Amino acid sequence: MKKRLLALAMVAVLIIGVLASCSTPGSDSGSAGGEKVFRYAVNTEPTTFDPTKGNSIGDNEIQHAITEGLTRNTGGEVTPGIAESWDISEDGTVYTFHLRDAKWSDGQPITAGDFVYSWQRLVDPAVSSPYAWFLDTIAVKNAAAVNAGEKDPDELGIKAIDDKTLEVTLDQPMTVLLSALGMQSNLAPIRKDIVEQYGDEFAATADKNVYSGPFVLTSTENNLYVFEKNPEFWDADNIKLDRVELNYIEKPDTQLAMYENGELDFVRLDNAVVENYKDNDDYGIYLNGNVDYCYINPDSDNPVWANKNFRLALNYALNRVEYNQLANSGLYNPYNALCFPGLSGKDGKTYGETYDVDSYAYPMEGDVAKAKDYLDAAMKELNISDPSEIEIEFVTTDAESNKKIAEVLQEQWQNALGIKVNIRQVTYADIYGEVYPKFDYEIGYAGWGPDFDDPTTYLNLFRSDINWYTPYGNKDFDAKLDAAMKEVDDPDARMDLLNEAEQILIEDGAWVPLQARNQSYLLSPKMKDVTFYSFSINIDWAYADVAE
Amino acid sequence: MTKYVIKRVIAAILTLWALVTIVFFLTRLMPGEPFTNPKLTPQVIENMTKYYGFDKPLIVQYFQYLGNLIHGDFGFSMKYTNKTVNYIIGQTFPFSADLGIRALCLAISFGLVLGILAARKRGTKIDFFCVIIAIIGTSIPDFIMGALLQYFFGIKWGLLPVALYKGFEYTILPATALAFYTLASVSRIMRASMLEVTSQDYIKTARSKGLSEARITVKHQIRNAIMPVMTILGPTVASVLTGTFVIEAIFAIPGMGKYYVESVNNNDYSMILGMTVFYGIFLVTANLIVDILYGVADPRVRIGKK
Amino acid sequence: MMDLNKDMFVIKGKNVEQMETISRPSLSFWQDAWRRFRKNRAAFIGLCIILTYVLLAIFAPMLSKYGFSTMDAAHQHAAPSAAHWFGTDATGRDQWVRTWMGARVSLSIGLFAATINMCVGAVIGGFCGFYGGKLDMIVMRIVDILYGIPSLIITILVMMVLGKGVAPLIVALCVVGWIGTCRFVRGEVYRLKEQDFVMAAKVLGVSDFAIIIKHIIPNIVGMLVTNLCLAIPGAIFQEAFLSYIGLGIAPPNCSWGILAKEGIAYLRVHPHEVAIPALIICTTMLALNMLGDGLRDAVDPRLRGTE
Repeated sequence: MKKRLLALAMVAVLIIGVLASCSTPGSDSGSAGGEKVFRYAVNTEPTTFDPTKGNSIGDNEIQHAITEGLTRNTGGEVTPGIAESWDISEDGTVYTFHLRDAKWSDGQPITAGDFVYSWQRLVDPAVSSPYAWFLDTIAVKNAAAVNAGEKDPDELGIKAIDDKTLEVTLDQPMTVLLSALGMQSNLAPIRKDIVEQYGDEFAATADKNVYSGPFVLTSTENNLYVFEKNPEFWDADNIKLDRVELNYIEKPDTQLAMYENGELDFVRLDNAVVENYKDNDDYGIYLNGNVDYCYINPDSDNPVWANKNFRLALNYALNRVEYNQLANSGLYNPYNALCFPGLSGKDGKTYGETYDVDSYAYPMEGDVAKAKDYLDAAMKELNISDPSEIEIEFVTTDAESNKKIAEVLQEQWQNALGIKVNIRQVTYADIYGEVYPKFDYEIGYAGWGPDFDDPTTYLNLFRSDINWYTPYGNKDFDAKLDAAMKEVDDPDARMDLLNEAEQILIEDGAWVPLQARNQSYLLSPKMKDVTFYSFSINIDWAYADVAE
Repeated sequence: MTKYVIKRVIAAILTLWALVTIVFFLTRLMPGEPFTNPKLTPQVIENMTKYYGFDKPLIVQYFQYLGNLIHGDFGFSMKYTNKTVNYIIGQTFPFSADLGIRALCLAISFGLVLGILAARKRGTKIDFFCVIIAIIGTSIPDFIMGALLQYFFGIKWGLLPVALYKGFEYTILPATALAFYTLASVSRIMRASMLEVTSQDYIKTARSKGLSEARITVKHQIRNAIMPVMTILGPTVASVLTGTFVIEAIFAIPGMGKYYVESVNNNDYSMILGMTVFYGIFLVTANLIVDILYGVADPRVRIGKK
Repeated sequence: MMDLNKDMFVIKGKNVEQMETISRPSLSFWQDAWRRFRKNRAAFIGLCIILTYVLLAIFAPMLSKYGFSTMDAAHQHAAPSAAHWFGTDATGRDQWVRTWMGARVSLSIGLFAATINMCVGAVIGGFCGFYGGKLDMIVMRIVDILYGIPSLIITILVMMVLGKGVAPLIVALCVVGWIGTCRFVRGEVYRLKEQDFVMAAKVLGVSDFAIIIKHIIPNIVGMLVTNLCLAIPGAIFQEAFLSYIGLGIAPPNCSWGILAKEGIAYLRVHPHEVAIPALIICTTMLALNMLGDGLRDAVDPRLRGTE
């Protein structure tokens, strides 16, 4: 009997020992009292901490806190960053930046050479940054040629005159340059000696990099990213937070539960639960600048897509209000044009306030009668006698929300026009790796996130010489855009030209706009000065504060 | 014995080679490319293709991969640039292993106890209770089980942490959710095998010798009944492992399972390959150990003879 | 201890009339199995549940006034009511219809995958077990290697290559699924082949084909059917799992796994959207398991003749 008890006790100890051993990998680091801490979560994991290779809003948000560009853009307000001041040449193509005495987190001075190295690294084909194209987008001289390996990195339009003076040369004037410099962290400075020290593993973990921004990254382990105030930062006196903890938590439900338990100070809400939180005091919405479209491939084998009337029929048949209700539970804003209405327009007003979009865009609730007229015209031109002979294929990813969108569109188009809509679902890797790059589709759903605060970030999608999603091209449209880019002196005239370009696309049925996105969130009332922005950065807490 | 072990080890190595080869070519057959950022320009894609060596013939890539593999090098992840697959596995595997071991211990210990209890008290309320647990466990998919446990214990009643993995109390819910299915099958098998053993002659002999019931149960019944449970240990390790795919996502545990699912969805070739090979090594070794243990433990399995 | 002596015993003689009678009616194997199966209440209930679900899957969508993909902006997330028995989903689609449309997919995936696995495994395993020799050795080495590969990983990768859909899913589940049956059948056939009655048949000059049909198959078919019954829930589970991680079937089709996955997002606000599919999955698993257990008991030769 004794022996048996002993054996039982041993087994019990063993089991309890294994189960209760507190050596779970990565134990809590607990925060000291009196610290100002901000804790939040994201549902996609940051892909990299290398400023050059950052390629998503999530990556950029992190970089925004740990790097300092030539300027700093806080929610659209551009203030001097590492550059104390700058001069712009007469024709708007040469910028000369005068740098302040700023330091890296290890105490070394930040020099003009750090920027030159960073920009050259961005377009270096051997580094193969996913965002290498960005320098070309903001018209930095020779960016495309260097990236293609046709020109030497030294020929890139950025020169260090001396340690404190930097000269950037553009192919054409870029009004958004200063704003982009402040929020696109691919353009932040990088230390050459650190990159050379760690090679391919540069910035793989927090200790393999040095930081120029208001915060330093101190840990990236176990899906918890810890930021601590950078005492060497030039404007450290105005940085209020001591510590920021960013958790990567995949399920929005889990995030929400942690917020409610007081373990997080900010969460984005899943559409499924918004209705239950809409009336809370800590509820808020930000516009993230994403506009969702159906891209059209006019070069597809199916002849209907080259037909303007057919494309217009689809656009007029769509009741975007009902669509939004069904596909998004009414949480987004149905949208009928191309450019995000929150862009800066004229005289300090937004783009949406400057122009009466509804007067030229498709009717929000659709116009089935008009759609049928367009369809009849299209059928006549295509020698089709019955709408049921028209069969189109709609491609989308297999994500749950996209599936719903595809099904709603399918229902609406089939009911209104009597055509047949097939849905082709492909994986995420397939749609962005194969289907769109090779134009292997007829019509497909995808969003567009803007890169900077200017209508061109949307309009460029449809240029004949840019084939991101769609091979669409239109000479009138190209000409309008070119005219706008040449208009340096009068920003208002430029804006009007861009707006006319957008109208050309709408009249031609170049694509099917669906919705402008927004994001619902809960933010702890004790947090102050957290900024939301629509371009490349959604949440900006660099200058945030915690109320006592 | 040595011959048997050597044979098993060779089979294990062949299995791994087959796995690497199958998976290598399957990943290349997958629709799509690993470069999935919608904002890539053709020039950038060309540069990246060159950077990762995808411009070389497939067979060259295959042998290069095998060569690196022999040195234990899985290469760089394509999605998480700057991180090696080895680093990511090193970071995430301890969590999966910890969770898996906890779940296995829970499942086996509780499963055995429930099975034995049910068999000893056959037909009573205890038996009924044990059977109910076994039924629930084998009929609820683990993602539903995980979500329900989290909702009730974490959110609704606030008894346990909702998510993350930072201490003992954090491990209870995910380990339970993960263990449930295995626990249920272990208890079912144990109960059935206990009952089968009860009617065997040696139990009757023991009883006629006048041994106490407790002694019979411990010395004769359990010892013999536990053999069938051992045979399912190999598959059990595999099922716990795949269970981590969903449980880790639900409880926000920084383990390997969710990276695996994500890498498959992103066509992150090097991650898919690296993690599959790693899982393969792990499972093949687990099977190997179970096989050898089984050979040692059960005299009826004649090693070396067909 | 008292002594025994002859006086204490009486000779009763032989009961010649009853010596040769058989006390119970002679039953064929299947009659006996059916008799025992019927007595097993749990198994019988299981069978009834499965039959009910199958009938509902066939008829419920036909008889409902709602289309299974018809959306209704006015009735999103409706709770179960007289109009919508199982409520509606996020786009106002009737859950009653979707549940039984999903049943078609889930049940047929389970049935087809398990059946194909069983047939392929039984044929290969039977062949190897019966004929043995070099072929057996080669096949068995391949099977050993495949057996060591984590099956779910292969399933996931095959799904990725083939794309979404019911057919790819069944193929993916079958790529490695047959191996278990193959090993089991080979072992059984190998054992049976050595038994006296097969030997006897061989000696009497019965052809291989006839031996297989007459002696081998009847002896393993019971176990095979049982295995099949227990493999179906496994396949349904795997479908649910694959759907959950985003590799299941393509819309507008739905399955129980997809319904449960969609519903889980609304656990906090509309619990019925996950409760109903979860309940249906559970009862199906339960019913199939009870049915399988009952079948196993019914066809187990060792239990023959017992009550």
